[in-house]
Amino acid sequence: MLGMLKSIFLLATVTVSAAGEEIVFNRDIRPILSEKCFHCHGPDENTREAKLRLDVAEVAYAEAIVPHSLEKSEFWERVTSDDEDEIMPPPETDKALTAEELDLLKRWIEQGAEYQDHWAFIAPVRPEGGSSIDDFVDQRLEEVGVEGTERAAPHVLLRRLSLDLTGLPPTPDELADFLKDDSPEAVERQVDRLLASPRYGEHMSRFWLDAVRYGDTHGLHLDNYREFWPYRDWVVSAFNDNKPWNEFIVEQLAGDLLENPTVAQRVATGYNRAHVTTAEGGSIKEEVYVRNVADRVATFGTVMLGLTTECAACHDHKFDPISQKEYYQLFAYFNSLDADPMDGNKKDHAPVVRVAAPEHEEALATARAELQNQRERLAKAIAEYDYHEPKEAVRPEPVEVTWVDDQAPAGAKLEGSWKWVDKVEGEPVLSGSKARAQSGKDTVQHFFTGAKAPIVVAEDTVFFAHVFLGKNAPEQIMLQFHSGNWDHRAYWGGNRIDWGKDGSPSRQSMGGLPEQGQWVRLEVPASKVGLKPGDKVDGWAFTQFGGTAFWDKAGTVGSDAGYHSLRRWVRDQRARKKSTLPKPLAALIRKDPKALTESDKQQLRDHYIAEVDVTARQHLAPIRAAIAKQEQAIVSIEKNLPTTLVWKEMAKPKPAYVLERGQYDRKSEEPVVRALPAFLPPMPEGASNDRLGVARWLIADNHPLTARVAVNRFWQQFFGVGLVKTAEDFGSQGEWPSHPKLLDWLAVEFRESGWDVKHLIKLIVLSDAYHRSSVAEPDAYKRDPGNRLLARGPRFRLDAETLRDQALAVSGLLVEKLGGPGVKPPQPDGLWKAVGYESSNTVRFVADKGPDKVHRRSLYTFWKRTSPPPQMIDAPSRESCVVRRERTNTPLHALMFMNDPQYVEAARCFAERFITMDDEAIPATLIDHALLRPASDAELDLLRDSFRGHLDHYTKHPDEAKSLIAIGDRPSSSDQPERLAAWTMVASLVLNLDEFVTKN
Amino acid sequence: MDHPIIDKLTLQTRRHFFKTSGLGLGSAALSSLLTRDAIAAGEIPPAFRKVAPKAKRAIYLFMSGAPAQHDLFDHKPEMGKWFDKDLPDSVRMGQRITTMTSGQKRFPIAPSKYAFETVDNGSDGATISELLPYTKKMVKDLCIIKSMHTEAINHDPAITYICTGNQLPGRASLGSWLSYGLGSMNDNLPSFVVLNATWSAKRDAQAIYSRLWGSGPLPSKYQGVLLRSAGDPVLFLNNPDGIDPSTRRRMLDSLNRFNAKTYDHFGDPEIQTRIAQYEMAYRMQTSVPELTDLSTEKDSTFESYGPDSKKPGTFAYCALMARRLAERGVRFTQIFHRGWDQHFNISRDLPLQCRDVDQASYALVQDLKQRGMLDDTLVIWGGEFGRTAYCQGKLTRDDYGRDHHPRCFSIWMAGGGVKPGIVHGETDDFSYNVTRDPVHIHELNATLLHLMGLDHQRLSVKHQGLDMRLTGVEPVDPVKDILL
Repeated sequence: MLGMLKSIFLLATVTVSAAGEEIVFNRDIRPILSEKCFHCHGPDENTREAKLRLDVAEVAYAEAIVPHSLEKSEFWERVTSDDEDEIMPPPETDKALTAEELDLLKRWIEQGAEYQDHWAFIAPVRPEGGSSIDDFVDQRLEEVGVEGTERAAPHVLLRRLSLDLTGLPPTPDELADFLKDDSPEAVERQVDRLLASPRYGEHMSRFWLDAVRYGDTHGLHLDNYREFWPYRDWVVSAFNDNKPWNEFIVEQLAGDLLENPTVAQRVATGYNRAHVTTAEGGSIKEEVYVRNVADRVATFGTVMLGLTTECAACHDHKFDPISQKEYYQLFAYFNSLDADPMDGNKKDHAPVVRVAAPEHEEALATARAELQNQRERLAKAIAEYDYHEPKEAVRPEPVEVTWVDDQAPAGAKLEGSWKWVDKVEGEPVLSGSKARAQSGKDTVQHFFTGAKAPIVVAEDTVFFAHVFLGKNAPEQIMLQFHSGNWDHRAYWGGNRIDWGKDGSPSRQSMGGLPEQGQWVRLEVPASKVGLKPGDKVDGWAFTQFGGTAFWDKAGTVGSDAGYHSLRRWVRDQRARKKSTLPKPLAALIRKDPKALTESDKQQLRDHYIAEVDVTARQHLAPIRAAIAKQEQAIVSIEKNLPTTLVWKEMAKPKPAYVLERGQYDRKSEEPVVRALPAFLPPMPEGASNDRLGVARWLIADNHPLTARVAVNRFWQQFFGVGLVKTAEDFGSQGEWPSHPKLLDWLAVEFRESGWDVKHLIKLIVLSDAYHRSSVAEPDAYKRDPGNRLLARGPRFRLDAETLRDQALAVSGLLVEKLGGPGVKPPQPDGLWKAVGYESSNTVRFVADKGPDKVHRRSLYTFWKRTSPPPQMIDAPSRESCVVRRERTNTPLHALMFMNDPQYVEAARCFAERFITMDDEAIPATLIDHALLRPASDAELDLLRDSFRGHLDHYTKHPDEAKSLIAIGDRPSSSDQPERLAAWTMVASLVLNLDEFVTKN
Repeated sequence: MDHPIIDKLTLQTRRHFFKTSGLGLGSAALSSLLTRDAIAAGEIPPAFRKVAPKAKRAIYLFMSGAPAQHDLFDHKPEMGKWFDKDLPDSVRMGQRITTMTSGQKRFPIAPSKYAFETVDNGSDGATISELLPYTKKMVKDLCIIKSMHTEAINHDPAITYICTGNQLPGRASLGSWLSYGLGSMNDNLPSFVVLNATWSAKRDAQAIYSRLWGSGPLPSKYQGVLLRSAGDPVLFLNNPDGIDPSTRRRMLDSLNRFNAKTYDHFGDPEIQTRIAQYEMAYRMQTSVPELTDLSTEKDSTFESYGPDSKKPGTFAYCALMARRLAERGVRFTQIFHRGWDQHFNISRDLPLQCRDVDQASYALVQDLKQRGMLDDTLVIWGGEFGRTAYCQGKLTRDDYGRDHHPRCFSIWMAGGGVKPGIVHGETDDFSYNVTRDPVHIHELNATLLHLMGLDHQRLSVKHQGLDMRLTGVEPVDPVKDILL
């Protein structure tokens, strides 16, 4: 009896010491002081009253508390005073101490008023008194005199494991395998099987994506599409590959700062880009910048440290020892993104990287190998070219080199109206098979910059281009050359385009318009447009004012590429005052000819063969063409690769300031330097003072928070509540852990295992605590509704994603395809339109079609952050960092499970899987597949009755039956619509069962 | 055929594995969508309910985009003399302006082109624009506040701020706080309902966001429920094709019996709640169509709300629906009417917007009054910030545009414990700065909570180490001067 009373008391106040027990400051006293006193007598200097702080022992002893003596402690006098002006906390704060709290404080002072550093800020050590999860759980149960429930039945256990590790239910076959296995390792084998499934990574990612607020849109204002899913897929593979947690953290926080980061490591840095962004007209950049950084810091604090750092943005933290200055010192690690803070409403808000999917990788690898092959062929052809110095002197002749014909030069960034027209369509084409058509009402142009191999201007370089003026001729045509700037222009005809200065190289008239209706060659000597030998031209614009024109082959003519003699060429080069050759060759040219080594000579010869000799170049032209084709192929594959947002650090960090009250325009005079909060360990020796250093600091052995915070979230995933309930706050205001030693043991075990996530998860799911049955007396549920003592197995409603995936799985609809862009299964019309900005590219929802899209796991459902998918009940909106979901239970959920067409479709397909069976056998089969257990006779009767009632109805109303079974993406093949409709309703009932929607 | 698990189970101790029983609901009452009114249920009110409520329910007519106060409520005759002259620096005082106009070379004053009339409101009179002829008729019912102000100058942060108390996403909305703090007054409708109305100004209106009626860190059952005018009024309310009410009932009966057995087995009270929620869902399938069926409304009612009130989705329709919701015990109804962002072309768009809402807002207040409900129903009309005295874009006598302006804006309230027939607060000659009785949006929200019987300081939840409340960290007070 006494044991039971004790247990009731302890259950009511899980964390508080029983009468007579020794007071533990962190468990019993700190929560009271933090909640009721620290606001005015805590870490924040600005709100501190009477210079008293109760969070620091020395000050408290000096000012208010005398250990062992209530009489001498002014603290005690004040908290027990009858005088309204004296009593603490003051009545107007509404924080009066309760009788229980006073009792604890009294005993604490009597016992010596011992202070402890806040538990979570002391690095965990492997605790005494236990070496497994169950050791610690059982000790606690024994202390409170509660007995744990027995082991859950195997089907319950396998379903629990399967849903917890993969987010999908087991099949009856998997259960049969499990039951057949009588070995002691049977459960472990199942766990290993599940951990090895790619579905594991998908399931685990969900929780992380909630925390880092992953979404497929920007989240603010227009809320346009953001291409970011490669980051999501990175997270999935990190879990599937069991990437150690320390690497998981380092790559996301600072993958860009690692030595030679891989594309994957850069993709990981999307972690710091996941926050919401805006491009709302009228926004002030600096304000948006500060918000973006603050969001990163808040998420870093919550996810990595379990601390509410954002509280210190406006003033010193009220409860934890983080000063406002320290907040901005932390801010300084996250503020130097080399990007516009405004997202431009673009899906690829720079910086981004392109990411190749496996099929792209293959095509790229082939193209790259082919390119390499061709390049080698070229090198070989140059080396083997049979060159003989001509016997007689031959003067160089001007030669034409084509730059733009059926394609632009490699690397060119095309802008303006590139409208290719084809010879076969009867359009005028001069050379090759294509030309470019251009027409407009006024100034119109197509142009490029960034050619990989620019034209190097020589003494006699002349540019040429071909134009065909249509019947409706332009008033003016213009060629512009880009060499650092565009101030090199030549025009024909009227003087309508007013760029540059007329009569200067920036706008030089070349005469009247050419004839209409025929191809005309335009020529511009480089010197005429202010280009000197050695200048590099990497871009060209074809411009006209009004009318229609066709443009074709363009390039240069010059004798630089018109030699027949190596000797002559070398001589001419030597004679030049300034060489236009690449540096190493220019050096050789300047060298005393007698001092040239064989290798020097070879270099000169090779360059001459490759670039200058007329005959040799003609000989090499086919290989060159093959190379250009390959380069083009690679560019076109790369251009279509998906992008994802990544981090790129500014060359020079942006200075950060203390912002008064957190306001962007109230900067401190002096910038702050990057530093970590003083109450936590210092930066490890040798670590750089940047994000990479921060990451290394997090994973150092002496860090008190990183491992605890992580294991607690994993624990929460399996048991519904973390060992520390406030998974987001391990600070002074956070909750005392239900099992402090267990938390520390797990944290140390996790770290020492090499941050092995699968190892940690295996420990949890192989524990007796996890295996317990959730069948308990109603009283047990009432006494410990949160199951904090772990006396029974976890029982709670599955998350929205798992519910939908489970329905798709049992109905045979689920398409198990890993990764890729977000998909849009159907949702009711008008949800996006009701909130969206008309010109947003996500204002109109169009459902995808086909099982590859609509029957994928919910992880892949397109997440519009200002209007999340309606099926995602209780899920965070992914606009801000959330590490803990609430679970609610409302009629709106019931309506969705019953009426959402996807659930109706799932019910019909679930029934249809077994429709060839005898009616007698179907109910048991449905229950078997849904609940993995046999149905009781009473349950079978109930389902059969229900079926007969429905069948009776649908027989009378065959049209209704046809309508019902027509719902969904997958068509029904049944020739018995009434019977299928009736079974659909029974299947729908099964999919709505409490036992089905719950992890039991 | 025996299930393979039977063999295994026989080897284990089974407590009450497949114990059968009847419908064991026992004393678990069918609970409502939310906890029923705690006071009605005889529970002791929590600390934050120590304030005597003046209003039982509220209807918020939210004018999204920010109505131009100079052209509606805040008459500035002095501005007439300043046409096309620059805003004096002594007025602007270096205050920040948005980057949409900060690049303008000039800030020319745009006087309102609309005529104003001062009418008797029972106290000092109220001056109202010709764009709001119906509103003008009811100034005796209204408390007009001309001195509202906020810090945010862009729509997304500003509307998030006034609706959730913070410029950044992630906090609980006003309506969810009311649901959380007060519970429900009815058994078969949500406590917090949101309607999105259509609008007449240019289509590209500012976006709104589900966070504006979200519950942030409060449990999601407190979030606003959308009442839609097309498709299912409540998401997934209607049975799909091929399921008629009798089929649904049959399915639910079997489901409940089955779940009752599950409860007997597990003993988890959550199962009883689930059974109750399914029953409630079924009742909503009847109560919502009854709610949205306007055929019982009199012709005179439609007349008073205007011809639009028969067109689903219009503001007038939503306003009429708001009254029906209020009658049925819905605690808080919020109508979002978009399209008030007149950067340009005020002369075309502002009259259209006013026509959308003027008559129906008037009709709603009068309707509530006639039914004796205005005394305990609070009606609020307003947007997220104000607009500038100076012109954005091209200025003529006849047409102009106004940029965002956070320093002052106008709203009105009626009923629910607010003093009728007063104008609160004053602004300078340009409606640029507040000169008397400023009301911050936190103070407005504190006032709304106060009128509903909630102590806004005490109405808080612990979130991320803070006592999170709607009205922010700094202490603010309800606006005493406007309370009855």
